Amino acid sequence: MAMFAWVMMGLAIWHFTIFLPDRFWGGIVGAFLGALIGAMIFGVLVNGGTIPGQDDTHLATAIEAIPGAVLGIAAMYLLGVRRERPAATA
Amino acid sequence: MTDRRRNLFILLLVAGLLIGSATAVVVKKTRLGLDLQGGVELVYQAKPTKQAPTVTADALTRAIDIMRERVDQLGVSEPEITRLGNNQIQVALPAVKNADEAQRQVGTTAQLFFYDWEPNVLGPGCKPAPTDPNVTGGPNVNAAAGSLSHYDAVIRATKCPEKNLPNSSSGDQFYLVNDDAKSVLDGPGERRTDLRPAKRGERVVRVPQGQIVVRAEAPDKGPKIDQWYVLRDDPALKGTDIKNPEQNFDNGPGGTGQPIVTFSFTSKGRKVWQDVTRAIAQRGQANQLPGTPVLAAAQHFAIVLDNELVSVPYIDFKQNPDGIDASNGSQIEGGFTIKSAQRLANLLKTGALPVKLDLISQSQVSATLGKQALHQGLIAGIVGFVVVALFLLTFYRLLGLIAVGALVVYAVYFYALIKLIPITLTLPGIAGLILTIGIAADANIVIFERVKEEVRAGRSVAAAIATGYRKGLAAIIDANVVTFMVAFILFIIAVGGVQGFAFVLGIGTMTSLFTAVLATSAILGTLSRSKYAIAHKRAVGAGERRSIWGSFDFMGASKWFFSLSGCILLIGALAIGGKGLNFGIDFESGTRITTTLQRPADENAVRDAAQAAGATNPEVQKVTGKGRPPNTFQISTPTLQPKQVSDVTQQLGSRFGIRGQPNTQSVGPSFGETVARNAIVAIIASLLVISVYIALRFEWKYAVPVLIALMHDLLITAGVYSLTGREVTAATVAALLTILGYSLYDTIIVFDRIRENVPRMPRAAFSQIVNRSMNEVLTRSLATSFCTALPILSLLLFGGDTLKDFAFALLVGTISGAYSSVFIASPVLTHWKEREAVYEKRAERIRGQLGYVPAYATAIGGAPVDVGPKEEKRGRGRLTAPQEPGEISATEFQELVRDIQEPEPAATPSRRGDGDRGRDLDPDEVVMPKGEKREKQRRPRNRRHGRSR
Repeated sequence: MAMFAWVMMGLAIWHFTIFLPDRFWGGIVGAFLGALIGAMIFGVLVNGGTIPGQDDTHLATAIEAIPGAVLGIAAMYLLGVRRERPAATA
Repeated sequence: MTDRRRNLFILLLVAGLLIGSATAVVVKKTRLGLDLQGGVELVYQAKPTKQAPTVTADALTRAIDIMRERVDQLGVSEPEITRLGNNQIQVALPAVKNADEAQRQVGTTAQLFFYDWEPNVLGPGCKPAPTDPNVTGGPNVNAAAGSLSHYDAVIRATKCPEKNLPNSSSGDQFYLVNDDAKSVLDGPGERRTDLRPAKRGERVVRVPQGQIVVRAEAPDKGPKIDQWYVLRDDPALKGTDIKNPEQNFDNGPGGTGQPIVTFSFTSKGRKVWQDVTRAIAQRGQANQLPGTPVLAAAQHFAIVLDNELVSVPYIDFKQNPDGIDASNGSQIEGGFTIKSAQRLANLLKTGALPVKLDLISQSQVSATLGKQALHQGLIAGIVGFVVVALFLLTFYRLLGLIAVGALVVYAVYFYALIKLIPITLTLPGIAGLILTIGIAADANIVIFERVKEEVRAGRSVAAAIATGYRKGLAAIIDANVVTFMVAFILFIIAVGGVQGFAFVLGIGTMTSLFTAVLATSAILGTLSRSKYAIAHKRAVGAGERRSIWGSFDFMGASKWFFSLSGCILLIGALAIGGKGLNFGIDFESGTRITTTLQRPADENAVRDAAQAAGATNPEVQKVTGKGRPPNTFQISTPTLQPKQVSDVTQQLGSRFGIRGQPNTQSVGPSFGETVARNAIVAIIASLLVISVYIALRFEWKYAVPVLIALMHDLLITAGVYSLTGREVTAATVAALLTILGYSLYDTIIVFDRIRENVPRMPRAAFSQIVNRSMNEVLTRSLATSFCTALPILSLLLFGGDTLKDFAFALLVGTISGAYSSVFIASPVLTHWKEREAVYEKRAERIRGQLGYVPAYATAIGGAPVDVGPKEEKRGRGRLTAPQEPGEISATEFQELVRDIQEPEPAATPSRRGDGDRGRDLDPDEVVMPKGEKREKQRRPRNRRHGRSR
């Protein structure tokens, strides 16, 4: 259930990337993957490598995904900017 | 074949099929599922035994054959025994009212063994003590002496050494015990994994091969007792050594007149029987003390059926000093009732099942509630049909009338197919049927909107009809194929009623293609060439061109729609985290009893009654609502066995009286796991198949936004379920999977138009192409969604509880699907495609000319700059391709003129310094860019670019 909440939160956060300049690595789809994977990995890490089940999932569990999603999106953005720079220089 | 002949042929075919279908509808009987006519459904999971170490397809088939024979002996009409997956068997018994009795008759393994009693009963230290009545039970072998509690018997057996006896009935056996409570919680299982997982304070123990724990014989006609013996597992005879078992009465000399089971032996069995009874008689004779009666020294013979003592008769050594001659057969006595004796005889007659069957789910539906559900389903179907018909008539006038006619034909065909195949009609099946009414109407809407477009573009009505059908066909086929594929995946993977839903959905989707496309095209084709030709454009509902959406910038506004979706998902995620999902017993396992009481009672009183009958932690809820009689209660408990369910209903009956037959449903943990696992597999498989199909039919970049949109729909639906606290059942999962297929309908319509407009607008930015496409098809998309929502709404309002479950998920999914097609999938596609060099250059060029990228492609003077490429001539004579009108509409002509007059705008250098990419690509290259061949200038005019509508 926690994984479900994380994916949902990652997807929710991703929707707001539309307000950012599209400089993500892989574009909006790259940002999507970054948000989802970031949310899931961070969620698992925060919970000590486990995925809480239905009974152990709380409001905080869903919120745990927010930093992960933001970090994932940021990583894709930085990667996109870094790849763009050599192309522009060339 | 000329068009006239083709149309005539199709119309004759439609009429012929209609007559045949109507005949089938009248003559053939509809096969109703248990949920519509009442009855008992049992689902078993096969487990290996010592005799059949693996569950093979052959073993399951033999088990099904044996079960069918047993069901025949129950006298059940039209039973259905089907295999589910690779290790489950589903038994549907219409009109049967006693689940407990049905379970005992059908699913009993019926492993029968005969033991020489005294030498095989094990006492302390696993030692036999033939002369100790505290071990053997003495002359009467009753439960008062010698027997142990279940826990003590199991623990004693675990301490016995392993023995590899040649005739042993089983291998190692495992039990789950609680040492503190001294109770046995689960078992026996052939493997540890057969038992439920041990919780704190529980452990799994192993009874080594060579001994078994058997339940003591129940006192005359009484209930089963919790007294057990440990036996050395060395049976003298097996069930296969007897033949011709019959229920009879003990009417012989000195007989009691009580029901008994008589049987004869096979030749091998006869010899063994004589030998064993001789040995028993001789042992009794040797044990007899002078002056004591025969009974005091008599030795016994035990008949064990599925680890329970059926009878332990003694051998009268005075009468049978040389054993019992088995030429006249033998008999089993044991306090039988006529019914139980008949049951045992039948079980022995049909033979033992080749595998052990564990009951993992059982449900019982009362006939009254079944009829009520059928009535509600029919009402919902009729209302759904009528509102869809009204919608079509209002918006499409004459075309709508023809579509309604096609819907009637569809309904007759479909009903006939249900009877002819035959499909067992269940409540979920009715939901599928009603949904396909909307899908059938959608196909017509897609075409009719296209026809209206063509009429508004200046074509004659006849030409518009022909062009509309030709251009709309690809999108309809794409959408229906995807729905069919999802239905197919559901049918293969899902279990129970969901399978019925999938089957009906799949058949309905294909049938609707025939009636909604082929039949209506033949009717319209014929009409357009007759003296009754449709001439006026108002007859097809195509008034003056009115762009409802004006110049609305869909892509520009998409950030706000994205934000809205983001907020909804955020709330949904918090709800999932905070509240979770309310999983029904399909997933969580447990027992649910719904019953109407004759005398008033409150929830506490009902809970007390359930607890008194042995139900642990029952949750009782008073059920109210339309169509529900007063005093209806729903009792939810951890999984109960059929006997326990029967005890609870009897207890309720004795305290409050029960009106009619209660509805019961029990789902074991393994069945819940199967449902959950199948749901996940079905969702993943559906997504994969959809992605591959979209990638093949469009291009792979179109598949990713589709997946994101689908994910959006599923998660929003899940969020709504979490927020509303509605129960998630297997039906909900089926509805979600249907959403996967149906949500694509709208997306495909939009993407299909984008694909069509890409080569038509060779100088436009991708956002402009998408804006224009959305502007053109949004009305159509909304119309199809609305048309599908109508029958779903009818289900929600008029359907029973099960149908309402379906309808709620379908409604949320349909709304979300329509929304995501327009406001999620298309913007994602736009953002992604705009990163492609060609579209980047176009946007830069337009920005250079105008200072910004307008929402719609316009020249400096404000006129549209798009133009349609020459359409490829299609082969004539195909049934699905009506005559090409061979004329160009006034709008297209004006567009062509405008394009010729429009000066070619100068290309601006690329931001990334890729100068050679500054020019616009040919439409051909837009559809399928081939960078390495770019230097070769191809003329697009003689080629078909993308897919022409």
